[in-house]
Formats: sequence, structure tokens, C-alpha cells
Amino acid sequence: MTSTERKVNKIDALLRACRLMLRMSKARPEPRKSEIMYYQMLADYYTRLLNAREAGDFVAAHTVFFPSEIMYAMDIVPMHLETTSWMTALFLGEYADLLSAGAELGLAPEICSPHRGLAGAFAIDALPRPNVILWSNMVCDNTAKSGELLMKLTGCPGFFLDHPFQNSEGEMNYLVEELADMVRFLEEQSGRKMDWDRLSQGVARMDRQIELLRQVGKLRQAVPSPFHPQGFLELLTIDYLFAGRPEATEYLETLRQELAEAVSQGKGAVPKERFRLMTLFLPPMYLIGFLERISQEYGAVSVTEPFFCSWGEGRLDPSKPLESVARKSYMLPEMRMYGPLDDRALSEIVDSAKQYKIDGAIYYADIGCRHTCATIKLFKDVLDELDIPVLTLDCDVVDPTIASEEEIRDKLERFFELLEDR
Amino acid sequence: MTTPTSRAENAKLHVLDRFRRVTQTFPKTDEILGYKSQGKKVFGWLCTYAPEEIIHAAGALPIRIVGYSHETDLEDGTAYFYVNNCSFSRSCLQLGLRGEYEFLDGVVGGSTCDGARRLFDLWRNYIGTPFHHVLTVPRKYIERAHNLYHDQVRQFHRHLEEFLDIQITDEALRHSIEVYNESRRLLKALYDLRKLSAPPITGAETMEVLNASFRMPKELFNDYLRELMDGLSTSGNSYEGRARLMITGSHLTNPEFIKSIEDTGGLVVTDELCTSTRYWSDPVVLDGDQTPLQAISKRYLNNFPCARMFPSDERFERILNLARDFRVEGVISQIIKYCVPYAHDRPLLTEKLQAQGIPTLSLDVEHGTSGSGQIQTRVQAFLEMLESRQR
Repeated sequence: MTSTERKVNKIDALLRACRLMLRMSKARPEPRKSEIMYYQMLADYYTRLLNAREAGDFVAAHTVFFPSEIMYAMDIVPMHLETTSWMTALFLGEYADLLSAGAELGLAPEICSPHRGLAGAFAIDALPRPNVILWSNMVCDNTAKSGELLMKLTGCPGFFLDHPFQNSEGEMNYLVEELADMVRFLEEQSGRKMDWDRLSQGVARMDRQIELLRQVGKLRQAVPSPFHPQGFLELLTIDYLFAGRPEATEYLETLRQELAEAVSQGKGAVPKERFRLMTLFLPPMYLIGFLERISQEYGAVSVTEPFFCSWGEGRLDPSKPLESVARKSYMLPEMRMYGPLDDRALSEIVDSAKQYKIDGAIYYADIGCRHTCATIKLFKDVLDELDIPVLTLDCDVVDPTIASEEEIRDKLERFFELLEDR
Repeated sequence: MTTPTSRAENAKLHVLDRFRRVTQTFPKTDEILGYKSQGKKVFGWLCTYAPEEIIHAAGALPIRIVGYSHETDLEDGTAYFYVNNCSFSRSCLQLGLRGEYEFLDGVVGGSTCDGARRLFDLWRNYIGTPFHHVLTVPRKYIERAHNLYHDQVRQFHRHLEEFLDIQITDEALRHSIEVYNESRRLLKALYDLRKLSAPPITGAETMEVLNASFRMPKELFNDYLRELMDGLSTSGNSYEGRARLMITGSHLTNPEFIKSIEDTGGLVVTDELCTSTRYWSDPVVLDGDQTPLQAISKRYLNNFPCARMFPSDERFERILNLARDFRVEGVISQIIKYCVPYAHDRPLLTEKLQAQGIPTLSLDVEHGTSGSGQIQTRVQAFLEMLESRQR
């Protein structure tokens, strides 16, 4: 990579931001070990990506909910596209250049901003060129439709993983065959063979990680809740970027231990917990710092995120690695939003609301996310029956022009007042 | 405006009024309510990947659930769906919420796009239609995708049999396939007339015919269409325009939109829309040892693809073929806001058309728009640009 490429490369900037966050975490009066591990993992992730070309590594850029376990088992460097998009907004606070480049390609403003930005990023070489593009229809039309344009922009070959909509035996078999085709594609493109033993080990670790995630979820039911107000984003990122990795297990073990200790001491994540909240969908990434501060200020903690943190039932079987990877995709919390929105999804909201003793819910209505926003009324009605108020915040996950910090503050403060009055 | 070439006024074809009448009173048309009054069932389908022949073979009437064919407030639709879902889905839901589809005995959907699957979800939760079924529709054309879809079609077949407490026989399916294929043959013949230098029917009139095609019993529609074809062959009608246009993109049912384009002088000769060419283009082919259900599922998955399918080149290739066959000079890509599958494809398709020397006018619209005002101004400028290329 030339120095000029490094200069415009968002990965370089992200890496510097991760290292800064790492230093800040270490410098806290009471450093949280899991937080330090988290930022170290992020820094390592982006370091490997940044140096991939020089190291002769093979890079696969992939959309969200793609099984990165498979890439790790083949010693392929994954580049999680949407997370990289979010991180750019979260850590760098700059996204306008990418959206502008996406608009120049002719992408309509209604297309979700992370995907418009990703296309723009590749068009202006703000992201390093991968070796292949992998994408799937899990979880929306944007993920399903983004791949072909990215292939054209990067000049890379690509593989589209067709994830069935429902969960019958036939559909599970279909997905397993899709995954097998993807492995063959990666073998052909990378010249590397799948290491099935390594994948089995990854699946075994993933099984453990799911169990740890469930235990972490259980600990968050405690009053006061021990995990910091926007902590679920760490849990998401861990699964998105490090599924089946040893360091992810280590992080989750450490976090579970920390939370267990806090619960045993009756110690909450905020000085005085006043409002226990359910978070529905992704908050604006460029406001995470602000959301963390206002949560601390008002004693408002997100204790449950049913579509991000409530894993489905079941275990993974390392002796059947590919089947397990397919099975895992049906256990993902987000899968409840992908298949038919039946009683399974609605009962999860009710169960979460009761188990986590929530006072209110915040629905982040991301203007570019159609399939989630179409559930606002439905979920509100479900929570209404439990007499739980819902605040709907219009926003965009990366574009600050949709909702400013002032607007969000104003609405949150009024919502907290309403909760207080109740 | 689009002008008759051989006489001052083209002959009025009265059979077109019948198609218009069906359209104007939809959803509660005389044809549908008459069917219901005989004690028969009516099922609504939400997307072209729902196989109509199976409903027809069950002795029921399949009709397409669509929204308003004109611009209107979507207060209820937006309240339930939110503003960032396409106005087509919101429009359908609003009609459902307001009881306009209260006669339906069932709703059949597919996992085709985010709007369609959420429309199905909300319909099931808020509108009391007795029967619901959603099909997983793969996005690929490979053999295992066909096997999966066939399995889905069989499940739907079985579910419908259970609900109606009947057997849907292969014989009934074969008959339904013939009825629907006849419709497809007739519509192809109608479209072939539009390949002429001066077609006997306008794009707006064609849309009125197409709207009726999924809003009434197919046998009756076929009778009307035969009568129209006879009328067209003897009418001597002919239309020319400043440029031959194709319309691509999202769901479109408002003939006024096409009329507004033709009023500025464009002649719409073909389209790539799920309410027209993509609806009727491919027949069900019964050959060899295939069961009727296998033939039906193969046709529906292989049909002229929606932008949801992969690879997109299959759709692009078909569009380029249409452009060549109908001697298209310009394409109007009308995409409903938040119709993401088509919006993603637009840059790629525009480039492919450009490579064939066919310019594209990109219009972002709301469902039901009549295409007045700014849209007409843009079409006018587009036509001027096309004319300057011809000089």
C-alpha cells in the first residue's frame, strides 16, 4: 500500500481511533478489563486488515450476519462492511464524504446510508480493495442488493449467499449447501483449503460464546443492571467481527466475571439507576458518546435489546461444522426480524419486557431501515398492552443530518420526565 | 402528444371501457362481488411470485392486492407501516385497513422484498383475513433453488387444500395452467402489436387492460381481450410519438402516469414492470414427466425476474432484449421512493442501457402518481434530448 492510499484510507484512521480508545480505557481511574480487551481486539482487527496486502493475506469483504467463522478457518482476513461503516461514524464522526460519493454513483437517498456510504467509500478508494466480496440477503434488501455494485466498483469476484426466509428442514439444507458452495468459491479464489478441524474448533468456541452471551444477558436482568448503558454495542461487535475466535471467548468470560462481581456487590453501571430501558434497533453511531453521557446523567440504562442480544434456543455441534454455522444463523437474535414476524418475535418482546423489568422502550427509527421501521406500530401495540411507553426517535445510523444531538436530547429528556411522572 | 397517424381521430374501442370499469371500482368490482355472491372464495396475492394457478385450480378467484391507482393521503398506511416504507405497500395496507378488501378469504405473500414481507406481517396482524400463507422465494435460479421453491409451492398447495377442505387435482391444475397461459398468449399478441412503427394502442390504454388482468376472473378477462384484439385488427388505429419509450422499475398501476408521458409526445411501447411484462411474459410449460406443480414452480421462479433476484444480469439482459425488439429510443426508470431493490440496480442498468446508446430518465415517484407537473417537465426535456439525437 502506498503512502497516498494510506492517507485517504478510513481503515488507517479507524485504527488510530481504536488505539486512542484503548489508551483512554487503560487510563480510566477504574479500568474495565473487558473494555481494554475489546479495544485491543478492534485495533488488532483493523491492523491485520490494514497490513493485509503487504502481508500477502487474502481479504474477504462481507455484509452483516455473514459467518466469519468460515473465513477465520481458512485464514482469510474478514472485512465486515457495515461495522466498518458504523465505526467510521462512531470513531471518526465523518461520513459526509462517503455519502456524497455514493450519491455521485446514482444511489438514491432512500437506500440505507451505510450501504450508500460503502459504495461511495470503494468508489473513492477510502477503503482498501478486498480480494472478494461476500454478501447475503440476511437481513434486508440493502444487504441483498449491495454486492453486485461493490463487485463492479472493486473489480472483485463475489459470492451471494442466499439465506432462506423461513426455518424448515428443507431451508436449513438449502443454506448448508449454499455455505458449501461459498467455501468452494473461497477455496478457488484464495487458493487456500478449508481447514475443517479448525472450523470445528471455531464452532465449539462459538457454542461456548453463545452460552456466555446468554449468561451475560441473564446478569443484565439484575437491578441495578451491571452493564454500561450502551454496552450491548460491544456484544454485537464481538459477534460480528470475532465469532468463534479465542479472544472473543476470553472477552466474554472476562465480561461475565466482571458483571457477576458487580451483581453480587449490588453495583450498577450508572450512579443511580432510575430507568430500565429496552432498545429497539441501532442508535445513531455518531451519538454514542452523547447517549452514554445522557444515560449516566439520567440513570437510564439499556438493559435489553431483544433483536440484538436474545439468542435463540439450541446448541452447535462441532462434529457438523457447516450445519452448525447454518444453525447458528437461525439462532441469531436478529433472525427474529428476518423471518415472518409471527408470535415468536412478538413474544420475545413481551418476555424481555417482563424479565428485564423495563420502564420504557426506545425505538431508533433509522430512516434507511425499512424492515425494522415497519414494526414500530406493531411493537408499540405489544408494549402498550404491558403499559410500557415507547419513544420513537427518527434518526439515521450514520448520517447526522437526519437528527441532531439537540433534537435527540430534547426528546430523551421529555421521555425521561414522562417515565419519572409515572 | 402521441398522435394518430392515419386519421384525425382513432376509433373508440368500446371494449376498453369494460377494462376501465373493472379498474375504476376495484377492489369491490361487480365481477369480484358477483363471484363471492355465488358462495365462492376470493384470495388476494401480494406479489408475482405467488402462483395464481393453484388458487384458480382450487375453484377460487385469485386477485392481486394493489393500492390506490391514484395519488392520495396514506394516513393509515403510514401510521401502521411508517413513512420509510414504499408508498405501494402503505397504499395496499391502507385499503386493507379501511375494509376495501374485506371480501377476501385469504392472503398469499412471498419473501420477495422488505416491503412485501412486512406488508404480509402487518396484514396478518391487523386485518382479519381468515387464511394467510407466505412462501420463501429463493433469490437464485440454480437447481437447489428450484427444488426449494417447488417444496414451498407444494406446501402452499397443501395448506390451501386443508383450509378449503378439498383436493386440488392435477387435472384442475392443468386446466388452470391452460387458462392462464391463454391469457399470457393474448397479452403477448397485444404487446407484439406495439412493436409496429405505429401501434394501434397506446401505453396508457395497455395499462388499463393489464390492470383488469389481475382483478377479474381470468376466463372473462380472456374473452374481453380476444374482443379487444379483434377490434384492434379492424380499427385501423395507429399511434406515433416523438420517441419510442420503455418504462422500467417499481410497481405501477396508474394509467394516468403513462398518459401524462404520452401527452408530452412520448409513445410508451413496452415496459419492464411487475404489473405488466413481468406479470405475463413467461408461460407455464408442461413437458415430460413434470407434475403441474413442478411446472408452475419452475415458471414462477424463472419468470422475467424482479430486481430482487441474483444475478441481476438476467433481468438486465431481458430489458436489453425488450429494448431491441421494441426499438426503444429512451427508457424511463420510475422508482417508488424506498423501493430499494430497484434503486440499487439503477446505476448498473443505466450504464448497460447507455452502452447500447439508450438514454435513461430517472424518476423518483410515489405510488399512484399521475405524473403531472415536474415529472411532465422532465419528460418533456428528455424527449427534446432524444429528438436532438435523432437529428
